[in-house]
Amino acid sequence: MLAEQIANGVVVGGLYALVALGFTLVFGLLDKLNFAHGEVVTLAGFVALVAVQLGASVWLAIPIVIVVTGLSGLLIELLSFRAFTSKEGHSVSALSSFALGIVILEVVRLEYGAAPLNLAIPTTIYTSGISILGAPIPWVKLATLGISVVLMIGLHVVVGHTRLGRQIRAVGEAPTSAMLLGIHVTRVIQYVFVVASALAGISGLLIAMQGGFVSSEVGFTFALKGIAIMAIGGMGDLRGAVLAGLLIGIAEGIAIHYGLGGFSDVLVWLVMIAVLLIRPEGLLGGGRREVRA
Amino acid sequence: MAVLRATDVHLAYGPIRAVRGCTFHLDEGETVAIVGANGAGKTTLMRGLCGLLAPADGSIEVLGGPLAGRRPDELARDGLLHIPEGRGTISNLDVLDNLRLAYEIRPTTVGFEAAIEAVFARFPRLKERSDQRAGSLSGGEQQMLALARAIVNRPKVLLVDEPSLGLSPLMIGEVFRTLREFQEAGMSIMLVEQNVVKALKLAHRAYVLRQGEIVLEGKGGELAQKTEVLEAYLGSH
Ligand SMILES: Nc1ncnc2c1ncn2[C@@H]1O[C@H](COP(=O)(O)OP(=O)(O)O)[C@@H](O)[C@H]1O
Ligand SMILES: [Mg+2]
Repeated sequence: MLAEQIANGVVVGGLYALVALGFTLVFGLLDKLNFAHGEVVTLAGFVALVAVQLGASVWLAIPIVIVVTGLSGLLIELLSFRAFTSKEGHSVSALSSFALGIVILEVVRLEYGAAPLNLAIPTTIYTSGISILGAPIPWVKLATLGISVVLMIGLHVVVGHTRLGRQIRAVGEAPTSAMLLGIHVTRVIQYVFVVASALAGISGLLIAMQGGFVSSEVGFTFALKGIAIMAIGGMGDLRGAVLAGLLIGIAEGIAIHYGLGGFSDVLVWLVMIAVLLIRPEGLLGGGRREVRA
Repeated sequence: MAVLRATDVHLAYGPIRAVRGCTFHLDEGETVAIVGANGAGKTTLMRGLCGLLAPADGSIEVLGGPLAGRRPDELARDGLLHIPEGRGTISNLDVLDNLRLAYEIRPTTVGFEAAIEAVFARFPRLKERSDQRAGSLSGGEQQMLALARAIVNRPKVLLVDEPSLGLSPLMIGEVFRTLREFQEAGMSIMLVEQNVVKALKLAHRAYVLRQGEIVLEGKGGELAQKTEVLEAYLGSH
């Protein structure tokens, strides 16, 4: 039924948005694309898998994943971004982070193969839940949505209303002026990579929770859509990423409802082309590089 | 005691030496003006003093220690505030957030609210605009905001690069009044200006920079008398 597919769309859209927020934060700050971001989403699932295999409970796996993926952000920043500050640095960073993403992906594949692997998740989160407007919503979807919403609001508050957020916005707009105001620019950039990567990590966990398995494919799929959603929402605009993520998720849900499921993966790209033609700066973007909450 | 001392400093952009062998100092509580024609190297000198540009040669001491190896943000936290050419305000943050940034790196026990009251008492205009983006302010208001950051930040050393550039005579008066207040409060100020007459009137001492070299120095008032010499070095002033 339609309501169910729309509800699904909202949940998936929330996940798209979470992944897109990571891209958006980094882009808004540095004007650079972090192509390794998607593979952090993949990494998250496998870190959870390893943690569980080593005897951790699913619950303990969550903070482990957040810490490991957050730290991976530091590595990404150090290897693929720190050194490339000049104008040409933009494409170098993009290429380097692309390579780094592939390294993460291939290491995961080498160890675990390409086939999805089961994660021991209690099945009750899929079988029971609540009903909204007659649409059954299992706990897993509710939890995913709840966590996504909390993270988005949290990010909005941090970027818009805290000292770190002010520093992030200042560095995003004018790194030299920020430095002259006593802001440790490199530190702020590191924070952003940690936050963005931890967001990717949590998204990866939530994505794994949807089906109860981990797969090395998810990162790529979600990264591509994440980039599209960032472009649709407005480069650097956090609210735009959330809006675009939800719109695309819901549109996909509706497409699936009308038997156009196969079409749903094309949808985001068609929308992106259309939006860019009409509003190159994206739905909410101001067309300038800066982080906007 | 010197809070800032440059000894035979050379500053370069790649092969271009924009500042060549400058030696000068700023004493505690002193106001020193650096004047010179466009392209003389004044801004470059300021970049060197705040740690943005490492000297190609020579040495700089700030706040009682060598500058080498200290980043601009560390120096700013230690009490060296550089208000650069173009003001350095963050256009997409509102007035209050711009002031918060400046306050937060050197917070006081009195708190931000009290610090901000001092700013608003001095610049009522900024109070009216406190929730507006800095980028939406007029040039004069932006310069007020830039200077107001020094009120909440209370630096030991203030470097100001052409604060009167592009402002109306009324606003220029306001800028120099504000600098005078900073001076009276005991702040050590290094001022780069093209408005030579006003700068020399305010400054205790001044250096004249031409093509990257200091060609003249002296007490502000004395230099101001040497109109012919100044004109030769500065062009029409
Ligand atoms: N980023 C830069 N790269 C190369 N040369 C520069 C740069 N900035 C300034 N210069 C050169 O250095 C000299 C001094 O410039 P500047 O310090 O800006 O002078 P002033 O502030 O006195 O007008 C000029 O010849 C200028 O062209
Ligand atoms: Mg200049």
